[in-house]
Amino acid sequence: MPETNGAPKIGVYVCHCGVNIAAKVNIPEVVEFARTLPFVTVARDYKFMCSDPGQELIQQDLREGRVNRVVVASCSPLMHEATFRRATAEGGQNPFFFHMANIREHVSWVTADEHKATEKAKALIAAAVRRVAFHEPLEKKRVPVHPHVLIVGGGIAGIEAALKIAEAGKKVYLVEREPTIGGHMAQFDKCFPTLDCAACILTPKMTQVRAHPNIKLLTYSEVESVEPYDLRNFKVTIRRKARYVNEDVCTGCGLCADVCPVTVPSEFDEGLGTRKAIYRPFPQAVPNVFTISRRGTPPCQAACSIHQNAQGYITLIAHGKFKEALDVILRDNPLPSICGRICTHPCTVNCTRGTVDEPLNIPGLKRFITDLFPDYKLPTPTKERPEKIAIVGSGPAGLMCAYELRQRGYKPVIFEAQPVAGGMLSVGIPSFRLPRDVITKEINRLKEIGIEIKTNTPVGKAITLEQLRQQYAAVFIAIGAHVERKLKVPGEDLPGVFGGIEFLRRVNLEGPFNLGERVLVIGGGNSAVDAARTALRCGAKEVTMVYRRTRAEMPADPKEIEAAEEEGVKMLFLAAPKTILGNKETGVTALECLKMKLGAPDASGRPAPEPIPGSEFVLSCDAIIVTIGQVPDIASLGERLGLETTTWGTFKVDDVTLETNVPGVFAGGDCVTGPDVVVNAMYAGKKAAISIDRYLNKLDMRAGREREGPYRTEYTIDTSGTPLQKQIPMPAIELARRRTFEEVHTGYTKELAIAEAKRCLDCGICCDCRLCATVCEAKAINYEMKDEIQEIVVGSIILATGFKLFDARRIPRYGYGKYPNVYTALEVERMTNSAGPTGGEIRLRDGRKPKAVGIIHCVGSRDRNYNSYCSRVCCLYSLKLAHLIKERTGAEVYNFYIDMRVPGKAYEEFYDRMLEEGIHFIRGRVAEVTDHAMTPDEEGKLVIRAEDTLIGVIRRIPVDMVVLAVGLEPQADADEVRRKFYISCGSGGFFLERHPKLAPVQTFADGIFIAGACQGPKDIQDTVAQAGAAAAEVLSLIDRGFVELEPNTAFIQEELCSGCKTCIPLCPFSAISFNSDKGVAAINEALCKGCGTCVAACPSGAAQQHLFTDEQIYQEIEGVLSYV
Amino acid sequence: MKEWQSWPRFRYEAELDLRFPEEVASMPGGRALFACIQCGTCSGTCPLGTYMDYSPRKIIAMTRAGFKDEVLHSFTIWLCASCYACAVECPRKIKITDFMAELKQRAIQEGVYPKRFPVAVLAREFFDTVRKRGRSTESRLVLRLYAKTNPLKIFNQALLGLKLLRTGRFSLRAESVKNRQQIDQLLRAVDAVKATTFVDRLAREVHRGEVARV
Amino acid sequence: MKYLYYPGCSLKGTSRGYEESVLAAFEALGVAVDELEDWNCCGATAYMAVDEMKAFALAARNLALAELQDGSEHPTLIAPCSGCYLVLSKTQHYLQEYSEVSRMIDGALQAARLRYARTVHVRHPLDILINEIGVQEIARKVRQPLQGLKVASYYGCQIVRPYAAFDDQVNPKTMDNLMQALGAETVDWPLKTRCCGGSLMGTLPEVGVPLSYILLKEALKRGADVVATACPLCQFNLECYQDKMSHQFKERIEIPVVYFTQLLGLALGVSERRLGMHRLLVPMPTVRGGTRPHA
Repeated sequence: MPETNGAPKIGVYVCHCGVNIAAKVNIPEVVEFARTLPFVTVARDYKFMCSDPGQELIQQDLREGRVNRVVVASCSPLMHEATFRRATAEGGQNPFFFHMANIREHVSWVTADEHKATEKAKALIAAAVRRVAFHEPLEKKRVPVHPHVLIVGGGIAGIEAALKIAEAGKKVYLVEREPTIGGHMAQFDKCFPTLDCAACILTPKMTQVRAHPNIKLLTYSEVESVEPYDLRNFKVTIRRKARYVNEDVCTGCGLCADVCPVTVPSEFDEGLGTRKAIYRPFPQAVPNVFTISRRGTPPCQAACSIHQNAQGYITLIAHGKFKEALDVILRDNPLPSICGRICTHPCTVNCTRGTVDEPLNIPGLKRFITDLFPDYKLPTPTKERPEKIAIVGSGPAGLMCAYELRQRGYKPVIFEAQPVAGGMLSVGIPSFRLPRDVITKEINRLKEIGIEIKTNTPVGKAITLEQLRQQYAAVFIAIGAHVERKLKVPGEDLPGVFGGIEFLRRVNLEGPFNLGERVLVIGGGNSAVDAARTALRCGAKEVTMVYRRTRAEMPADPKEIEAAEEEGVKMLFLAAPKTILGNKETGVTALECLKMKLGAPDASGRPAPEPIPGSEFVLSCDAIIVTIGQVPDIASLGERLGLETTTWGTFKVDDVTLETNVPGVFAGGDCVTGPDVVVNAMYAGKKAAISIDRYLNKLDMRAGREREGPYRTEYTIDTSGTPLQKQIPMPAIELARRRTFEEVHTGYTKELAIAEAKRCLDCGICCDCRLCATVCEAKAINYEMKDEIQEIVVGSIILATGFKLFDARRIPRYGYGKYPNVYTALEVERMTNSAGPTGGEIRLRDGRKPKAVGIIHCVGSRDRNYNSYCSRVCCLYSLKLAHLIKERTGAEVYNFYIDMRVPGKAYEEFYDRMLEEGIHFIRGRVAEVTDHAMTPDEEGKLVIRAEDTLIGVIRRIPVDMVVLAVGLEPQADADEVRRKFYISCGSGGFFLERHPKLAPVQTFADGIFIAGACQGPKDIQDTVAQAGAAAAEVLSLIDRGFVELEPNTAFIQEELCSGCKTCIPLCPFSAISFNSDKGVAAINEALCKGCGTCVAACPSGAAQQHLFTDEQIYQEIEGVLSYV
Repeated sequence: MKEWQSWPRFRYEAELDLRFPEEVASMPGGRALFACIQCGTCSGTCPLGTYMDYSPRKIIAMTRAGFKDEVLHSFTIWLCASCYACAVECPRKIKITDFMAELKQRAIQEGVYPKRFPVAVLAREFFDTVRKRGRSTESRLVLRLYAKTNPLKIFNQALLGLKLLRTGRFSLRAESVKNRQQIDQLLRAVDAVKATTFVDRLAREVHRGEVARV
Repeated sequence: MKYLYYPGCSLKGTSRGYEESVLAAFEALGVAVDELEDWNCCGATAYMAVDEMKAFALAARNLALAELQDGSEHPTLIAPCSGCYLVLSKTQHYLQEYSEVSRMIDGALQAARLRYARTVHVRHPLDILINEIGVQEIARKVRQPLQGLKVASYYGCQIVRPYAAFDDQVNPKTMDNLMQALGAETVDWPLKTRCCGGSLMGTLPEVGVPLSYILLKEALKRGADVVATACPLCQFNLECYQDKMSHQFKERIEIPVVYFTQLLGLALGVSERRLGMHRLLVPMPTVRGGTRPHA
């Protein structure tokens, strides 16, 4: 036993704590018992040991040498350990020669039986006595408190605290997640009970915050993490969310919002008003700058292989800004008038509107713009480069590649074997879908910006690949897939049997020719459908498509199939050709088919057709067009520099860079993928261009290309309540005229286009049209802005994160969200605000003034199904709203309450005033709000059913407007936040204070304080008071400049340490190092936080912890046991 | 309109049964009774509230105050159609419907409901049939009910009766389980095992109730 | 999946049409159901009024029998009558919640040489149709869509309150979804779950009749052609007292009140007779699109 201050003379002091302890514990008996314990020289009791006279008892005994160690048996150490340590110190002993036995929380309050209580008290005292005998003198460590302060939450609490602290000359960081500070209070009109204007009180404070030199305001920012910086201070990581507007430059002029075409419901107006995608919550916002809401790339744009910004031009069309729409289109697409007609539009497949009724006709809208500006020009390159690049094939892949390269300043030269440019566009697609002049125009535009196209120049004959490779900086092969697949059935070579592409090419290049009356088209792809429709236009009377699967499996675009059927094309499903009948003279006369049935899915994921044996049947016909797919004509290239190919006869390329096995030679489009849609060919061209550019600049060709090509967006959009409005069909020429090659669809008119465009749901919110940038004189807008991470060090933190309102939808009986004239209190609050959506007018959805209004109290409060606590403010704000409604509309106002709760200065008087104003008060919780009318005068009204519990009758009260006094709830992410800041949540999920009376704004985490509604529902008065209290706590900390830490740090008994190093990695604060000279662990006391991990882990018991040495703990246990 | 003399001037504590609330609260989940804040949601929600002599809220208040006689004599408890609307809406999660059932049971035990009062009679008839046969036969039940309460009703319901007969919805053949013995064992056992629990009292009273015919 | 079926007393009596249509509809959907052998009265609400504990005991016997008959790990017992559904579910709930009830019932069962291992899952046909079979599947099997028929789905009280977890207690949707899947139009009305008067119709008609009247009046007002119910008592009260209502309130109250399973059957192409339509006192009108397959 350590003899640091002579033989132990222990004084035991038993506290009555009034009757708290005395009522259960037999004090005299306990004191008697204490006297019998070893080393105990004095045992006394007193009514309140914590009082001055109580402490004096202890100090006297110490001073007069009767006692040198102290045990106080009273309340929890949380309450008075500090008090008695101080007393011990003032008595002239080291404060750690003291120990506390908790006989209140642990005994008298929780033990029913008095005898048991007394016995337990004895046991605890016995334990304390044995323990304290082994206490040693310890010194408290002082750690400096960093003078900087972090305040989280820019509502009235945060603002108030920030100003107080800043005024005292301390540096404050105020972090707010919204674009402006002000919180809920900024939404209010008047404040109870004085009915003074919220803005008049708040806005000056807000501007002060902005202006104050000691306050660093970080709006639109969130705290990412809080880590210990040293023993006492914090390292805080803050994410500054991208505003896409430079806060320091923006003047808040608002021109951007004027031109912004995207309108969304305003959060600040609780959805009663609207705002733009680039917005400022309200005119007095601080900081007075704008922010762009971006949800992310819209699904349509993400799904598009070339990421055409559809939402952008659609929104602009909806606003009649057609020229601007064209600019947006040309940003990513040099062939819009072609895509607008024949693109298979994956964008519409992913269009969110499709989940509501029908997707938008996105290509149709693009075509509308290109039709509107038939002579638009492509952007000309801004720089020039010497390199020439050879492109083989002038299909969409080749053209796109050429365009992209040209924009980068290169000089692309396209080699085309056919007499016309355009590849499959010109030879494979019939002109009634894609008029020739449209293609010609697009190609001329490309020529105009300096792209050279050599037609009738087949590579492999006119010039070899090898020559290209030598004469050009790089080569891109995009020869498409033009060789027909064969049916491989007898008779395929008979006259009258055509390949689909061969047929289309002939019609496209030489014009229509007679096929005979009955034509069969084999296949189910887009080309097959084109062939069928073309056959009709060649004069065939009866055209039938023969497909071996069913309609569901047809690869062709459903809209095209529909169109074909409209024009009279017949469909024959589940049939496959077996033999083509006829002879050299007659040519083909009939087709023998087999019936098929669908079997297990094949490689393509579609059910594989299986022939039904013996199901043969014969279709007579004059011509057969076989359109079952094509392969690239690689052979035509002649010698091929040893380019690798696949078993399907396509080129083998790196799928990220499209580079072939020959450096500098790239390939893409159908000749790599096999027959595919136009937009994917263009994608390949673009991809190749990017690779070639990097190749020529010796850059990494693979880096950062993940987001190229189609992908699905992660976010989901709430489409509930979207009024149904199906797609507006695009006008087309009447059926009778669909026997010529006249274009079928005539395109949208302005009116139709605008109407169709208005169906867009603004998935991305900001549509990236970039109009705002064009009007911003300050040049503040930056679409490339990224979130920034900022690190700060602070010594204290105040959490003032506020509350959220109860979601009234959770109580369906009150009809919120069902009946339009049921509002939440905050919605009406906005209406009463002269700066609000209705300019201070209280009206119903249809604009009428309400004649009768019912205010329902306790919505979501005092209800064990939702929140069992009282939200404290609802009664009063209901009174306030009642007054304002009556004042502004003269309506009869009914308050339905359970109990009126109006405690607080001048609140009762406010209630009196409302009573006198003639507002109706009905004591009874509303059972139901319904539109079920039982009498004529209830017709068309909302009926409130409730028992008037004072009169004792059940009443039905018809009103025009219902106001739900929704309660206050913790923020949705309160739990996440409290983890971040190492604090806890109490009942109801609000942040827990250290002690409701002794430490109402402290938390259990040193240096972290709470203020306002995040600690529990409270009104502005109490919030401001708490903010002041929190500020005072912080200031007193900073001015003292240091905190004393429990000296409960760990230490190593070197003689015992085996140097096993177990403890070193375990220490969460890396306070343990290895002393290699001595071969033992060493603990840096400055870093140790006294968590005890190493003590528990040490196999040899060398690691010990002050205040918790093994001996002390064993003695305590012994003490308890010895008595039991 | 009552005679003014008959209006009670005071309710003296001595007239009340202060054991009553505790007894009632001894039903499963019954303690919730004391959590009532008299908000009246139950009364407002109740589709029959307007027909009741005391609203459900009052019944709870009166029970808690020990107004045993008024509560057990009230129409309210017999008007409860067990639609549970109040129970799901109650902000204090009081099982009001079950609480009404408890009071019905007590009224029957004490035999304090009005003689020939149909609701109680129906319950009783139902009880006996099922006890005997394990199943009830609606047709017979109804006839017995009318016989016991207001025989004339049978006539003004005759037309409906005929319609039902015609559509084969009113067969007089008595339904019954095969294993009647098992039903008997089961129900006797319930009486028997009610030794020490709260239903003990209730069991005996019900038994008495059965003997004492209405 | 195989289900046990608990008819309860009413489905053998005044609401035979319910039993017929439930069985026929399930058959048409290819779902097999076995009637619980030697089932007894569920312990219905009226019984509760006399001796709750005996009600639990009776319900428990049915549950015990279900385990015996089915033998699978979690037998599912379908109870179409909302009274039975409630009592059986309530018994389950009380056996869970209150040990004293649990002890007593186990004792009683033992005396009757029965044992209940708490494995049975009591469910309403609506629950099975929506959550097991699914509306898409049902829609796929529709042969005579109920084109142009305006249905007021009436859930009544006890299938949604207080123990049912398969639908919203205040604003249930399952029956409406089902009806829409059958091609019918559903009227949105606020009395979906308002009490019909229950057994009061028989005992205190002066109270019962007005309650049912309020329901039908509102259904008519909202343009319903037919009221679909899921409870024998609701159907009886709403259908059989229409004359009384008309007489008492001096206005014509006439609207067919059918079991939702009858409409389901019709849409699936089951004959009217097999659905017990001929037992209706107020016959179903022929509606546009010809909803009535001829037997």
